[in-house]
Amino acid sequence: MAKTVLITDDTAFMRMTLRNVIEKNGYEVVGEAANGEEAITLYQELKPDLVTMDITMPKVDGITAIKEIMKIDPQAKIIVCSAMGQKPMVIEALSAGAKDFLVKPFDAERVVESLRKIGS
Amino acid sequence: MSEVFVNMGEISSAKSQGILTTVGLGSCIGVTLYDERAKVGVMGHIFLPRSRPNDHGAPPGKYADTGIPAMIDEAVRLGASKGRLQAKLAGGANLFPNLNLRSISIGQQNIDAVVQLLKQHGIPIIGQDVAGSHGRKMRFFVENGVVTVTAIGKEPVQI
Amino acid sequence: MNEMKLDFLRELANIGTGHATTALSQMLDGKLFQLVVPDAQMLPFTEAADYMGGLEKVVVGIFVVISGDVQGHMACLHPLESARTLIRLLTGEDKPEIDEMGRSALQELGNIMVTSFLNALSKMTNLLMMPSVPGLAIDMAGAVWESILAGAEVAGEVTVIRTRFSAEGEAIEGHIIFLPDEDDFNKIARQFGLEEH
Repeated sequence: MAKTVLITDDTAFMRMTLRNVIEKNGYEVVGEAANGEEAITLYQELKPDLVTMDITMPKVDGITAIKEIMKIDPQAKIIVCSAMGQKPMVIEALSAGAKDFLVKPFDAERVVESLRKIGS
Repeated sequence: MSEVFVNMGEISSAKSQGILTTVGLGSCIGVTLYDERAKVGVMGHIFLPRSRPNDHGAPPGKYADTGIPAMIDEAVRLGASKGRLQAKLAGGANLFPNLNLRSISIGQQNIDAVVQLLKQHGIPIIGQDVAGSHGRKMRFFVENGVVTVTAIGKEPVQI
Repeated sequence: MNEMKLDFLRELANIGTGHATTALSQMLDGKLFQLVVPDAQMLPFTEAADYMGGLEKVVVGIFVVISGDVQGHMACLHPLESARTLIRLLTGEDKPEIDEMGRSALQELGNIMVTSFLNALSKMTNLLMMPSVPGLAIDMAGAVWESILAGAEVAGEVTVIRTRFSAEGEAIEGHIIFLPDEDDFNKIARQFGLEEH
């Protein structure tokens, strides 16, 4: 059975781009969240195997969402996909519980590589 | 008939004929003053509500607090009577409404400042198309006082 | 604003834009995209509003607030035609009107370019510079510009840094505007050993 993924990004364009890459590589996108708040809610509802998480989002940002999801499920597998690649931010995300940090723009291979590595 | 373009911070005037036009009113506010009898028209394109102390040499039209009095003076200089002046406004929009900028929308601040100043000077506002989140072009026909406002992709509207 | 400071700002803008345009390049990878040449310029405040081919010309503008160790604002502007080309290259679709997905693509592109710019500066200075969720406007150049200048509280003698980039093969033009607060600009300058004032 395909591994399930929840995509989180505030732009529809990036969600669409990620969905295309992820689905082409044998994963199933079970949900899309447009901000951290939706990500937390959808995580509880859908219990995906993997989560991609943007950082800069309205309402609730990615770091907060990572922390909340990790509280709900300490085994959660969250991969950050953000343009924001500054060191303090990367450290904060990984400390909060994210398993990988991809800086946009990233190519499809990098995303798939991360999903495979973290998903296993 | 000549058309004069009024850029950000500028004030221009005309008597009896001509068109005063300002393009690209975003958060700025375009103000027209008209004396119907004397056919004197003045247009200003105001950028911010209050003048900055360290902005030396700024044209008076850049700020509402120096701009409105300067516009009135200009109208009177061309033969208008202050008591007969009537104003129209366009602009004061917020083009980035989902952004949390540090202060309340400058567009709204501009509207408030200009409305307040005109009230202080006893000048009625007889037409306006302000706020919202789109840019505007304002054209002022001095021969008859008609003012039209245009947004991109839309037909001009008379205010 | 003395000459040395101006040069420094120009250099920062060059470096930042280099990274931003590399990011742009990568996003359009595999498509008709070749060389991108950044070109930094200083524009006095009064001239800033009228440089993209006229105040009435329609442009797409992305605007962000910067927070962290450095506060300020940044914007990224494209003439409408360039924006349409970018949407076509990013989404594969060519529609007469810019629809929601098109706007979303532009917003994401602007976000990535601005953030890449700040990432580069941050790495060089060890100062955190975080962009907000961007705002997007498609409107007359004059209106977009003055809204950016007013929003960034730019007035008086502050100069606007603008870097222009264009791509060969595809007519894509863009402008990145970096508007750090005066004090924070000095902070950056100090990291490079440049004296204040």
